[in-house]
Amino acid sequence: MIYLDHAATTPVDQRVVTEMMAVLEAGYANPSAVHAAGRLAQSRVAQARAEVARLIGAEPGQILFTSGATEADNLALFGLLRPRPNDPQHLVTSRIEHAAVLDAARRLQADGCPVSYVTSDSTGRVSVAAVEAALRPETRLVSVMLVNNETGVVQDVAGIARICRPRGILVHTDAAQALGHLPIDVRALDVDLMSLSAHKMGGPAGVGVLWVGERAAPHLKPILAGGGQERGWRPGTVPLHQVVGMGVACRLSMCQLEADIDHFRRLTDELARRLTSLEGVTRNGADDLRAPHILNLAFAAVDGEALHASLGELQVSGGSACAAEKGEPSYVLRALGLNDAAAEASLRLSVGRNTTQFDIENAAIIVEKAVLRLRDMGPK
Amino acid sequence: MSAQSRYPERVWELFSQAPHAGRPVMEAGWRRGEAAEPLSATRVRVYLAIAQGCIRDVRYEVRGCPFTVAAVALLASRWIGQPTDTVAVDPRGLLSELTAPVMKLGRMLVVEDAYRRALQAADQTA
Repeated sequence: MIYLDHAATTPVDQRVVTEMMAVLEAGYANPSAVHAAGRLAQSRVAQARAEVARLIGAEPGQILFTSGATEADNLALFGLLRPRPNDPQHLVTSRIEHAAVLDAARRLQADGCPVSYVTSDSTGRVSVAAVEAALRPETRLVSVMLVNNETGVVQDVAGIARICRPRGILVHTDAAQALGHLPIDVRALDVDLMSLSAHKMGGPAGVGVLWVGERAAPHLKPILAGGGQERGWRPGTVPLHQVVGMGVACRLSMCQLEADIDHFRRLTDELARRLTSLEGVTRNGADDLRAPHILNLAFAAVDGEALHASLGELQVSGGSACAAEKGEPSYVLRALGLNDAAAEASLRLSVGRNTTQFDIENAAIIVEKAVLRLRDMGPK
Repeated sequence: MSAQSRYPERVWELFSQAPHAGRPVMEAGWRRGEAAEPLSATRVRVYLAIAQGCIRDVRYEVRGCPFTVAAVALLASRWIGQPTDTVAVDPRGLLSELTAPVMKLGRMLVVEDAYRRALQAADQTA
């Protein structure tokens, strides 16, 4: 099997597994307990918090553990926006956000919260000007992802924050695909909330973070009721082994981010070079704006379903894994201007730390062979 | 789960082997029919070699999902050697025979159109 679907999830790094297993086997106390074992667990949570914070240039106290980026996105949107009849709280987001943001936005809209959806241009980028044009006096929040999960295009979140700041509008960004793949500095981005995920960067699934900056903190309300964990914002027993796993993944990334980026870029560049040498293969999203680990290519003159079926041992996605379950063409690629057939005949190829040059060579051969066979079979 | 396991065994076999696929050398007796469905970009071109009221050979070119390819290939295998007045395409029957989901009915209609047009076409090389 050749696994090129790291944007969907990555294998858990063995060093992460080792430390998680140690916690599962011997460190099982509740971090909220006051006895010695509980305090030890609490110190491990604190360490993990610091490790995540260090990777994004934040303070540990601003790291709020959640069950993943989806919950973090939900908490950011539902925790900040409370539609009221005489207080319209306008949200601006983009049409290429992950479903965790888009579905939350639709629910807010159904509850009476006005929402503007900004589209991307053909490069896959949401322009700052388009966001600015959507702002209103009653806009409370702008939510635009840092790296698109299908095209890999890096969004100008710092530019968006720059136009929101003077207006007092809070900015949230879903950085699930950026963590471990790009240097992140929340201060440089000047955003107010950031969603993160562990399982896209060598950590376990089931844990994520909402980073809450000081401007957002006074306004954020919990969306769950329960104990007072995570400063009351996220009640529920902190899953120690998961949190430790995310901390270790961030610690490792802190040390090898530069090498990881070089590795990802070299592999995806090589794959792009091989596959775009075929006639009728184009990139979805501008290459110079792309995060290093994701490559999205459209294959002309082949049927998308037949292409996917022909890839054998190569594991890739057409779009996001979440959208693929619905069996529909990618809304992100359609937002870039592709028709349904072209969106279906697109592949998202995403690499990880354990992807090798050999994998890339074999993947290129498999895709080339599939495309040529299908074209050979098709009407000339 | 492999891609192969998402399809019935027969569909996978017909899709992966695509028997009789290809464009013939157009000599006398070949007739051609074509149909397409723009939304999915499905396109089927069927060539029938007909002599003395019998289908001597079938060739096809197809761009479509594995079910579409399987349907085109299945009919090609089935029509060779048959008198022209005995052959027909039943799209719903194809769906059922290939255990295809009902959403594939549109593709089966494209297959039907291509075969029907080939059968009705004037001799392309006459």
